[in-house]
Amino acid sequence: MLDELRQTCRRLLQDGTVQAVIGYGRPSPEDPVVPVFITKPEDVDQLAWDDQCFANLVKYLLRKEVLSLGKLAVCVKGCDQRALLVLEKESQIDRSQIVVIGLACDGVGKPRLAKCASCDVHTPRQSDFVIGKANTPDAAATVAERYAELDAFLAKPPEERMAYWKKELSRCVKCYACRQVCPMCYCRQCIVDKNRPVSISTSATLKGNFAWHITRAFHLAGRCVGCDECTRACPAGIDLRLLNLSLAKAAEENFDYRSGMDPEKEPIIGAYSQQDHEEFIR
Amino acid sequence: MSELLDKTDLNRLVDAWLSEGRRVAGPQCVNAKDSRGQADRIQYAWLTKAEELRLDGFIRPTNSIKEFVFPRHEKLYGYQFKGKRLELTPAELPTTEQVVIGARPCDAAALKILDAVFNWDVKDEFYNRRRELTTVVTLACKEHDDFCFCTSVGSGPCDERGSDVLLIPIDGERYEVRCLTEKGKKLLAGATTASSEEATAPQGPPVRFNLDALGEFLAGGYDRPEWPEITRRCLGCGACAYTCPTCHCFDIVDEGSASGGARVRNWDACQFTMFTAHASGHNPRSDQSQRQRQRIHHKFQIYPDKFGELLCTGCGNCSRNCPVDMGVLPVLKTIAAKK
Amino acid sequence: MSDTNVFQPKIIAYVCNWCTYLGADLAGTNRLEYPANVRIIRLPCTGRIDFNLIVKAFERGADAVLVSGCHPGDCHYTAGNYHARRRWILFRQLLETLGIDARRVHFSWISAAEGKKWQQVITEITDKTRELGPYTAYREICQEC
Repeated sequence: MLDELRQTCRRLLQDGTVQAVIGYGRPSPEDPVVPVFITKPEDVDQLAWDDQCFANLVKYLLRKEVLSLGKLAVCVKGCDQRALLVLEKESQIDRSQIVVIGLACDGVGKPRLAKCASCDVHTPRQSDFVIGKANTPDAAATVAERYAELDAFLAKPPEERMAYWKKELSRCVKCYACRQVCPMCYCRQCIVDKNRPVSISTSATLKGNFAWHITRAFHLAGRCVGCDECTRACPAGIDLRLLNLSLAKAAEENFDYRSGMDPEKEPIIGAYSQQDHEEFIR
Repeated sequence: MSELLDKTDLNRLVDAWLSEGRRVAGPQCVNAKDSRGQADRIQYAWLTKAEELRLDGFIRPTNSIKEFVFPRHEKLYGYQFKGKRLELTPAELPTTEQVVIGARPCDAAALKILDAVFNWDVKDEFYNRRRELTTVVTLACKEHDDFCFCTSVGSGPCDERGSDVLLIPIDGERYEVRCLTEKGKKLLAGATTASSEEATAPQGPPVRFNLDALGEFLAGGYDRPEWPEITRRCLGCGACAYTCPTCHCFDIVDEGSASGGARVRNWDACQFTMFTAHASGHNPRSDQSQRQRQRIHHKFQIYPDKFGELLCTGCGNCSRNCPVDMGVLPVLKTIAAKK
Repeated sequence: MSDTNVFQPKIIAYVCNWCTYLGADLAGTNRLEYPANVRIIRLPCTGRIDFNLIVKAFERGADAVLVSGCHPGDCHYTAGNYHARRRWILFRQLLETLGIDARRVHFSWISAAEGKKWQQVITEITDKTRELGPYTAYREICQEC
């Protein structure tokens, strides 16, 4: 599979289809796997593929430091590819100008990350190339199975849930690693950076941390694809996945919507239906 | 001749310090796994009892001890609008003594560096008060991982800088105790037993790059064309700066409502886009490569030129916490290899 | 009067200018008494009400929050309340996950003609919140750390 990947990328660069390939790689053999930007055909041997390829490379399609390289090819796992669909719907990328190299994936991390257990996109979709074959079958998860972790948490009494978040969010230092790794966080000026006047406190107090995480989770409602990079990136080990699962569950249960899965479906925020339920409104 | 302390007595000391009304901070397991999802995540945090303290089974905590002398959020003073008047209330400086137990040498050495910055042109009373109240009991490192590079920047597993007491493990249960300052002697008075046994000096990580070659590259000019390529994968978060023992940039903001509020100081990071954003809209470091370049220059050229030592102790937190495995070490290795 | 010892909850009501605000005004002109615990904040439309306003109300010491606007189909800006309704459906799930007391967050459609309904809703919410007591959980979050 690695050979096929390298050959594909070599060809794309050699014939000028793209000026750069965003992939996973090792700049030198002793390095860990990192995002690499291959611009020369002879460098494709740096490309790597294994279960340590965590990063969601779609983020780089929005970074000017990478866009400046020219026309791009991007390597994506199934979960990452969903982000491409969301960005396209939000007019942030021109899909026709990007070459998408899908990498069939059996999961990442040792032990496997939580997201991999309910993955149903082992083979990336809507890709220009699909490299490799996934050995793991797509989980035919029911809605209940997909949100089992969250439901277990919701079974606790509200005071316990609040106490949990007070403990976890007290460790947040407002480094914004969660925001920076997220492909869907692309605002040129984030609401937390607004300071004339201040909207969300930048302070790493419990109040500021609650305000930030509530805001970010809600701004991702119906947009987050569950790549869980934010959870992995957090230097304080906060389980952001649980917050994002909340909004994903609300989107699926109420609107039968899973972000980045169906190119035909309208995004849920920004749209409405006259049939939206309102039994909670008096 | 040396002084020894065993683990049980150390834990008893920690409980004693707590019951005497001191605040004690040390490495603890927080309810999470590390970023590779394997081992427990260990962070420095305030302890409520000695049982929570973890002294071994990990390389180093994922954060640093700077937050105990330089908190991530600090109130400078309060303000209230009273009609046409503005009433200011200075913040109360802490008065409680605190002990940091189980600091790593790379964390403690950073305190000396921070002392210089916070007493350079203005004597920062907030920092100085906390610093005075703090006694640092450092634990020398028995092991290292691929991210550690203390020996490449003039430090090492037994570095005494910044520590009031250095504990060197003899075996799993006992430590050789070196009281390096009056504060340290006072804290551990009577707690140790004399012995003829001495700890063997632990071996640090191999030197990972040539500091002189690095200096040459940085002195060779600011506009090196290599920067964009080396720094392209950086996403501009603050994980490196906030977990770094020596990074000390801060932002001062007013937080409040129409009736009043407080002027506060929060950590800031040079990798954020807004860090150098001007009110006019111009941003002299608008590109991530410019921001990364500045970070390396600041740590390895600008700060040393001004204060005589590197703004880095080789702890490796930046690389361990970086979502894309960057941090300073990969950058330093690359540029020190260039001629 | 023994009122001084009774807990007086702070209710923040974010209301739309065209329906609920006028409904509240109608309650006033009809001399319908309703508890003075409510602080009314007028906005052009529920569609403009950011979920953060609910959070900020709790940060500043509210014991309960009401968000109220025009009935579906009657929005002065045609579809603002539809957008709001969708947002509220999603936001309630987030509130649940965080353990924020859902009994203190209320939503209603009150038209300009429904002065009586305004009186009823505010009275109900005030009585219920008085029973629940002050919302200390969020206030604790807002203490300086």
